[in-house]
Amino acid sequence: MMAQIEKFTYDNASVRNFAVATMLWGVVGMLVGLIAALELIFPDLNFDLPFITYGRIRPLHTNAVIFAFIGNGIFTGVYYSLQRLLKTPMFSKTLSAIHFWGWQLIIVSAALTLPLGITSSKEYAELEWPIDLAIAVVWVVFGINMFGTILKRRENHLYVAIWFYIATWITVTVLHIGNNLAIPVSATKSYGLFAGVQDALVQWWYGHNAVAFFLTTPYLGLMYYFLPKAANRPVYSYRLSIIHFWALIFIYIWAGPHHLLYTSLPDWAQSLGTVFSIMLIAPSWGGMLNGLLTLRGAWDRVRQDPVLKFMVVAITAYGMATFEGPMLSLKSVNAISHFTDWTIAHVHIGALGWNGFFTFGMLYWLFPKLYRTNLYSTRLANAHFWIGTLGILFYAIPLYWAGWTQSLMWKEFTPDGFLKYSNFLETVTEILPMYRLRAVGGSLYFVGILVMVYNLVKTVRAGSFESEEPAEAPAREKIYKPHAGEHWHRWIERRPIQMLIASAILILIGGVVEVFPMVMIESNIPRIASVKPYTPLELHGRDLYIREGCVGCHSQMIRPFRSETERYGDYSKSGEFIYDRPFLWGSKRTGPDLHREGGKYPDSWHFNHMLDPTTMSPGSIMPRYPWFIRDEMSLGTLPQKIKVLRTLGTPYPAGYEDQATADLQVQASGIADRLIADGIEIPKKELQKKEIVALIAYLQRLGTDIKPKAGK
Amino acid sequence: MYKYILEGAGNINWMAISALITFFTVFVLGAILAFRSDPSFIKKMANLPFDDNVFPNAEIENRHEK
Repeated sequence: MMAQIEKFTYDNASVRNFAVATMLWGVVGMLVGLIAALELIFPDLNFDLPFITYGRIRPLHTNAVIFAFIGNGIFTGVYYSLQRLLKTPMFSKTLSAIHFWGWQLIIVSAALTLPLGITSSKEYAELEWPIDLAIAVVWVVFGINMFGTILKRRENHLYVAIWFYIATWITVTVLHIGNNLAIPVSATKSYGLFAGVQDALVQWWYGHNAVAFFLTTPYLGLMYYFLPKAANRPVYSYRLSIIHFWALIFIYIWAGPHHLLYTSLPDWAQSLGTVFSIMLIAPSWGGMLNGLLTLRGAWDRVRQDPVLKFMVVAITAYGMATFEGPMLSLKSVNAISHFTDWTIAHVHIGALGWNGFFTFGMLYWLFPKLYRTNLYSTRLANAHFWIGTLGILFYAIPLYWAGWTQSLMWKEFTPDGFLKYSNFLETVTEILPMYRLRAVGGSLYFVGILVMVYNLVKTVRAGSFESEEPAEAPAREKIYKPHAGEHWHRWIERRPIQMLIASAILILIGGVVEVFPMVMIESNIPRIASVKPYTPLELHGRDLYIREGCVGCHSQMIRPFRSETERYGDYSKSGEFIYDRPFLWGSKRTGPDLHREGGKYPDSWHFNHMLDPTTMSPGSIMPRYPWFIRDEMSLGTLPQKIKVLRTLGTPYPAGYEDQATADLQVQASGIADRLIADGIEIPKKELQKKEIVALIAYLQRLGTDIKPKAGK
Repeated sequence: MYKYILEGAGNINWMAISALITFFTVFVLGAILAFRSDPSFIKKMANLPFDDNVFPNAEIENRHEK
């Protein structure tokens, strides 16, 4: 018997809001990226202002693109497809509104706090704890809204796109909580629960899976919905999509340690990361082929339809990035690629190609639907496609070239056994032409986005928006009668909560196996007796280093290669980082590694270098930091910092918080004396209060705990 | 023989081998459940995105460059 037909409406207003936000933040995020790229060519572009200096705006760029542009893109696609696949409106309009405005508010908070230097410095998780809490609340609101919609659905079975949405939601929840466990010092500062190697592992368990479950799985869900819609034909193999889903979510979570090859992370964890990364090729390419083969017999349309063009290039970029990722996880390849622009090129194939182009394709498809009209100009959309494609090529190819060139220069020895390019700066100036070309690529891509915005605004003006789109569907059969001998997967496809639990178990296995032993087993991190906690002045200097985002260009991890130990000193040991909250190993060397920086140069060298890097290193592309010399240390939270760190296990004696400020002043006075002796013409009374003194104390401490003292 | 191959491959320990076995187990289970599914059910699922076709197909052609 046919169930009764019910009439209802789809909520298009939320979809439209997220789509507009996607466009807006796309423009902002790419523009900030372009400014950052230009600052690497013209360091003066920071105009001596801290708020727009490279170290502070780089995380602004990554956060804006990942969470603002791509995040809103995800919500656009989810809110549109979920309602239609389940034949029901969203669960709650109030929750949809809280989700939308809450997410935008979080983005605005990020855009304000990151330039102010309020950062936890953990890559892609830089936002401080109050914003982290807000993210958790809004994410839960999204989850309730999504599951509420699923529970009141009219379609019994959940299409594969929805499985990807469910896996995304649960995994991002776990990752966000796990990586942001911290104790607050103040409203704008906290120290993480984990230190050093453990912090690194947890961070890259998060960082890698943020790529997996924020940039990949939700977009695969969108691919499984919007590609068939745009091509007007079902997905090539629904069977393959089932294998794709389960294999992908299970394997992805294990691969995080490939970000830490040749570091102080124990070898077993590195091996595990590599093995699972290689295996990731199978499900990733399964998904890519499933996408491309969906277009079999429709390739003539791809030539003409910009929507399909964008989607095809996006899926191809996904295939390229997911082949390259496992290759970069091979230790021998990683030895060359890590810390270079190769990584930057790789992630931009993913971000510009896969996420960017798929989002553009989706928006070009969606806006005419939402506004019940045709796209304003197909020619402009095609122009955008070609400008954007050229932009990606001009962005990525020079950076691949730069990465290989710089890495080979780092590793080259003369016949006499000395480093051929012993001055790190030589390896930077060599690749500057590539940085210029990259900025050209970024500009092209940005222009493409502006063309899209114009095209879509004109489309909106020509159409009429229907916020409540009428629809009808049969009521759901409340009691589903399974057929005899029904396969168990059909059972789970009708049960979203069980699907959520199964996904959670699968993603937790990898995390538990890797992270728990590191956190629980002491022997994984051999202690070194000479490694002591930071002094109050060094601690303050370290927090300034974090504030400025120095980690964006300087690593603190000397890998056990001769080319690195010759250049920087003894390789880094895991026991050296046990008081580092957060760890500051970095992932890119635009400047040299600083782990053994302590004692390399006199204090006055650092003073002059921060005032104007080119005076000490002619040709340097490091920006000037005059505010370090201008501004005084703000020590209001120092006692609280000591207390929090002691709670977390740093062995400061009981009551040391009352002594810390006095100790800091004594050490600062000594540094001020040395600076004045070297000719710095600032009265000691003022000089010893300046931020530069704390930064120098920290830099001079780096790596010295186990460094042989040179004949003192 | 297999031990020799694994030893020759480098730093492969029991964890890596168990990881490989776990992966293949998940992969094979996924493949079994996918291929044992009823073809008509698979077809129905694959066509779910088209159930809401409120726009005529002809409109898709309008996106093409004339």
